[in-house]
Formats: sequence, C-alpha cells, structure tokens
Amino acid sequence: MRYAIKMWSNTRMIVLVAVSAAIYAAALIAFKTAIPLIPGVTEVRVAGIFLMTFGILFGPAGAWGLAIGNLIGDIFGGTLGPASIAGFFGNFLLGYLPYTMWLNFFPFSEKSYEWNVKNPKSWSAYISITIISSCSCAVLIGLAVDILGIVPYEVVSRIIALNNIVGNLIGVVLLIAVYELTKNQLGLLWTDIMGIRQDGLSMRGIMGSWLVAIGSIAGMLAGFIPGLSVNLVSWSSVIFIVVGSLIL
Amino acid sequence: MNLSLYQDKDTWLHNIDPRTKLVGVAIIFIICLCFNNPIYMAVVALCVFFIALSARAQKALWTLRYILLLLVIFSVLLWPFFTVGKTPLWSWRFLRLTKESLFYGIAMGIRLSTFVIAGLILLSTTKNEDITNGLIKMKIPYPLAFAFSTALRLVPTFVGAGATIVQAQVSRGLDLESRNIISRFGKFIPLAVPMFISAIRYTNLLSMALESRGFSPGSPRTLYYEPVMKRRDWLILSFMIIVLIACLYMRIFLNLGVVMSGRL
Repeated sequence: MRYAIKMWSNTRMIVLVAVSAAIYAAALIAFKTAIPLIPGVTEVRVAGIFLMTFGILFGPAGAWGLAIGNLIGDIFGGTLGPASIAGFFGNFLLGYLPYTMWLNFFPFSEKSYEWNVKNPKSWSAYISITIISSCSCAVLIGLAVDILGIVPYEVVSRIIALNNIVGNLIGVVLLIAVYELTKNQLGLLWTDIMGIRQDGLSMRGIMGSWLVAIGSIAGMLAGFIPGLSVNLVSWSSVIFIVVGSLIL
Repeated sequence: MNLSLYQDKDTWLHNIDPRTKLVGVAIIFIICLCFNNPIYMAVVALCVFFIALSARAQKALWTLRYILLLLVIFSVLLWPFFTVGKTPLWSWRFLRLTKESLFYGIAMGIRLSTFVIAGLILLSTTKNEDITNGLIKMKIPYPLAFAFSTALRLVPTFVGAGATIVQAQVSRGLDLESRNIISRFGKFIPLAVPMFISAIRYTNLLSMALESRGFSPGSPRTLYYEPVMKRRDWLILSFMIIVLIACLYMRIFLNLGVVMSGRL
C-alpha cells in the first residue's frame, strides 16, 4: 500500500493517473453500448483489456487511474450513484493487485517487476493474478450493490468476474504490444519513474496475496458452499480481501 | 466533442454552492436506503423528480429514459427470485414468488431510478470544474483532485481520438458487429493499441509542462474561483439533514417503510 500513497508526491505519476483514468473512461464511454449483456445494467466491458496492462505498467498510478476512470465513466454515463463508490474501490483493486501480487503471489509470482513474454513465470503470474484481481473486484462490488438493492450478489459478482477475466486475458495482447514502447521509448514503467529497487519476496506479501486469493475464490463460490449463507460468505470474503490488500 | 451532461441554465440549483449539491445528493442516497417499501420509495422518487424538474433537467432525463425504464424492469424481474418473503404468490419447481419479494423488487427498481435521477440533477446543474473545486474545498487532497479534473478534461479528447480510429478501421473493412462475443471483444485490440499509444504520449509532455511551471503536489493551493457557502446553502443543508433524521427515525424506531426486514 505504501507505493499507492507515496506516488502522490511524484508529478509524472500524478499525470499518469490522469491519463490512464481518461483512457479507461474514454473506452468505457465509447464502447458502453457496443455489446450489451443486460441492457442498461451491464455490458461486455471492452475497456477490460486495459486493467492488467495499467496495473503492470503504471503500478499505483494505474490503480488510481482505473478507480478514477470508472467514476468518470459513471459521471459521463449518467449512472453516478452510491454504487460508484464501490466501483471506485473495486476498480482500484483491479490495478492494485497486479503490481502488488506480481512478486508476492508465491508460487505463481515473478522474480522481478518486469514482464517478459518468453518467461513462463510472467505468464503464470499474469493468469493467476488476472483471476484473483477480477474475482476480488467482483466480490467487493457484488456485495455493495446487493446491500444497496441494485442487483443480487449471485448475479452481478459472476458477471463482473467473467467480464474482467475475459478482458484481462484478451488484454495480454495489448500488454505485449505496448510494453517495450512504454518502458524503453517513453520511460514510463512505474518502477523506473519512482526509482524503486526490485523488492524481494516477503512473508507479509505472501500472506497478503493468499488472503486476497482465498477471499476472492470463496466469494465466487458463495451460494455453492453447503451450510453457509451467501451473506456470510460474501462478507467474510470482503474482509479477507480488504485485510490482504492492506497488508500487501 | 461534448460529453458533459451539464446544461447551462439559470435555476436555483445551478446557483447554489457545489458542496451543497454534493452533500445534498449524498443525503438523498442515504434517504433512499432508509426504505424498501414501494409506496415510501415512490414518495422519495417523486420528490427527487420534482427537484429535477425545478432544475430544468428534463432534457437529461429524457436522454436516459430507456436506461431508467430498463433498470426498473430488470430490478422488478430479478429481485423477487433472490429474496424470500412470507406470503406465497406463485411457485414453479425451485422458483418461488412471494408478495414481499415482489414489493421489494418494485421498491428496488424505484430506488435505482432515484439514484440515477439524483446523480443526474448534480451533473446537469454543476460544471465539472465546479465539482472539482467543491471536492478541493471539502479537503480532498489536491493531487487527487488535480488528477480527477485533468482526466475529466482529457476524456472528450480521447473519446474523439477513439472514434476516429474506429471509423478509420471500419472504413478499411473491420467488422465489429458479426461473430460471437469473444471474437468481437478481440477485434477491439487493434483499436486499443493506437488509442493507448496516442494517449500515453501526453504523459511526458504534460509532466514537463507542469514541472516547468513549478507544479508541486504537496504545496497549498489557492483557487481562481472560490466557492462560498451562502445563507441559502446552509438553509438547504439544514432542511435536508432534518428530513434525513426524520427518515432514519421512521426506519429505525418506528419500523416504517419496510416490506423486507433485515435488508436496506
């Protein structure tokens, strides 16, 4: 969490927040009606292809960018409401978990912050974190919109998770296409901007990652675990995800 | 390209302080959460609708009419099957419909529409810059508010660039409307790469421009436009807080406006 706070003293990271928020919001607005799933409620989020890319390339700036971008998408789309707060935090997780779990989600994690298309470790980290971050976001938003009486948890959490997973898996093509350019030509890899040395594997990081992972997978299974109510499972999952994210 | 829902008119809502509107909308959201009885929710929705009319936001409401209608229909159809009431109306295999769950579904449809209308009132009567100024005055950290306002300003530019890229590719034969969802999803990648690169080039230029003008994220700021809370702002806020307290009292102590206990 320290980098997510520390980045606000760096001008280039602040600008990256604004630019990534604008790209995400623009994609959300432009493709809002492209492929509707439930008209008026949810659609295939083409903007989902940016999620992991922003997290890996821009780190904390990508996380804040996704959060603000989603809020702006709601503002321009006319759907600003209390659920936008949940959307803010859910989308923050979509950018936050990729860079925080990248080194810590043992045994799937990478050894450095860099993405290497030829390294199976990069792929295992990408795929595993895609699933965990998508499910975490879905659990958090799902519980909030259920409490608010917007859409039942069982319906919306699975739609959001699937939407984000598909977007992230297709989005790997975007990451491959823009990684070298962003890192070497534009010098905009977040670790280079913030001058961060490669952190090693830490017990705290591993614990945080696994708490988030357990919370998100359990949250997706809510309703299928005999003897446990959807409410209990979803609340417990959110607590696991929040505590794990704070530890990371 | 103008994406903003703001409508430049001279109504009482346009002239009040943005902080009053931000807090007022938050209060309306909380009031909506006090009741899950369709009659009580309809009264709240009607009040919010009249506020929207007084702000002359009909045009914005009309633009979103299909979304509002779909939200109500979706909610009414979905909720009854995910909540359980006491009075059975109909059942078929594992599907059960009760009177309470049906009423709850109707109330949630009205609540969701009220959320959208309340948000719309804020957006159609407040400029984006005023929202940012209001947030700064409400002690949101300046760098966050700066990133938010810069992003708001860049969105129309990027949407315009995105639309141009889509049109250029479609005119070259890119088909975005046939085949299954996954393959249609994948077709957006060739569009996203140039959009991403053209947008990300702004970062270094904008950073240099800001730093050359002495931008310092942690420094205290002064605003060219300083929003001032007037007497009418305090009156409006006081009235809304009284209404909120009354609604909370009705829900918590009198258990009024509830068809499904244990749920907001």
